[in-house]
Amino acid sequence: MDGELKAIYDAILEGDMESVTEGVHASLDAGEAPGEILNTALISAMERVGNLFEEGEYFVPEMLVAARAMKAGLEILRPHLADSGVDPVGKVVIGTVKGDLHDIGKNLVGMMLEGAGFEIVDLGTDVTPDLFVAAIQEGADVVGLSALLTTTMPTMKNTIQAIEESGLRDQVKIIIGGAPVTADYARQIGADGYAPDASQAASLAKELIS
Amino acid sequence: MDKQITRPDWRTVEIEGMPQFDMAMKRVYAWFENEIIDRPPVRFQAHNAFLASATEDITSLSREDKKAWWFDVETQVDLFVKSIEGRRFYGETFPIFFPNLGPDVYAAFYGAELTFGEITSWSIPFVRDWEDVDKLVLDWENVYFKKLEELTQHALERCKYKALVGYTDLHPGLDCVAAWRDPQQLCIDMIEAAEKVEQLAELAIADFEMIYNHFDDVLKEAGQLSVSWMGIPSFERMHIPSCDFASLISPKFFQRFGLPILEREVKSMTHSVFHVDGRGVAKNINTILMVPEVHAIQLVQGVGDDYPIMQWVPFIEDLQARDIPVIVDLSKKELDDFIAVMDSRGLFLWVATESEEEETEILKRVEKWK
Repeated sequence: MDGELKAIYDAILEGDMESVTEGVHASLDAGEAPGEILNTALISAMERVGNLFEEGEYFVPEMLVAARAMKAGLEILRPHLADSGVDPVGKVVIGTVKGDLHDIGKNLVGMMLEGAGFEIVDLGTDVTPDLFVAAIQEGADVVGLSALLTTTMPTMKNTIQAIEESGLRDQVKIIIGGAPVTADYARQIGADGYAPDASQAASLAKELIS
Repeated sequence: MDKQITRPDWRTVEIEGMPQFDMAMKRVYAWFENEIIDRPPVRFQAHNAFLASATEDITSLSREDKKAWWFDVETQVDLFVKSIEGRRFYGETFPIFFPNLGPDVYAAFYGAELTFGEITSWSIPFVRDWEDVDKLVLDWENVYFKKLEELTQHALERCKYKALVGYTDLHPGLDCVAAWRDPQQLCIDMIEAAEKVEQLAELAIADFEMIYNHFDDVLKEAGQLSVSWMGIPSFERMHIPSCDFASLISPKFFQRFGLPILEREVKSMTHSVFHVDGRGVAKNINTILMVPEVHAIQLVQGVGDDYPIMQWVPFIEDLQARDIPVIVDLSKKELDDFIAVMDSRGLFLWVATESEEEETEILKRVEKWK
């Protein structure tokens, strides 16, 4: 990794938004390919952030500031990526299911997925099954459902049923997560996968669309 | 740990379905001292069971109507009274009504608005800019505060001889700060505005003892004990410190921002039981136990991959080695395996059951447990 890209990478790990934006500008000015900046600096840095979280070195605050710094760099890169024909690796629709207003887990998943190169459509919280269906109709590769209450977990099943009934089930991979959720539950309700945290959600989404 | 739990004036509270009230209280007090009279205490109600037992289906109601339902004093107390009608309470299962508007109600005393769901409520964060901190003033005439008072008074009338009446779920501290500021923003604040977080934390604990005393005085004047959602009564001052927000942050951050609050929160209490909800909070146990006035721990396995109980055995044994009494929430199918490997000292079991027969049978098994 060259010096400028390493500087961006390190700045993301430290959550230094200002240094990330400066570094991205400098790299673009120096003629670095936007795709190279994205993959080598931004995505790699967020992978490392995910590893540090899984290892118990980083916690939610550290992940959030790192993700925010990455996002700042990505905003500068975005038009350049489009111009150079670099597309997102996939499109993910995420939301917290109906009846549940918890959002921090979903937001973290969105950030980590974006950091992994996905385009994100965030439907917010308290999302009805038909809104998920409508979003898939606009185009999606993966759907991520979040629930933090045992009482709202059944809505995940209802949402999957709604997607099946709309004839869109084969079009998407469905992953679920949230504190009360387990891999067993994912299997029971017909989801394609379960992730115990945001970092693993990003890895899982990549694996499912590859 | 130097625990000086003074002997209170024992008194009996008559409860129709609980003729063994006195003995149950003695077992509870013995448990706080890591002693066993004849068997460890057992409560026949799983964690958060109260959310399902005294309620009705309000999923079809609008957001405004859901709030109205929560605020309907007669309905709330009636639902509770009906849920315990004709019931016999075994073991150390005290029937308790506690006025409930959700865990963020403490934040609402200072101006946060609550939005109500089917089983809980959420605050709408309103400290968006640091200038908003000036709005954080305790309002004794706040609509949520007044409603809790109303619920308490109505319950005191309706629950006489049927149940204890307790006080609401109070969350001063980082949970309150998160409710004011938004949990995600608070996470970022801890890195970027640490002194502001400390300022908010100070505001979140400053009035706690006054608020606690207010409800405690009302209840004691009515001949009630000190008790809340956890169902562990005290003749003196019982409190349930907790910090669910701690599951998001490092132990280092919890020690910096959460510990000072915890120290103040429990200072004047005689029976404090810290609510440890799952692995995320449990990682902070060493900091929690730095406070000598944390007299016991309630371990809730948590949800999802934090089940089953047997993975928690080393954690519980460590607490026993430190002479910390522990409430253990487990399912009835886990019970035999658990008591086969565990020493009973200092343990208070919570088990959900489906019949009185199950409860009496479980008590017999626990009587043999050493």
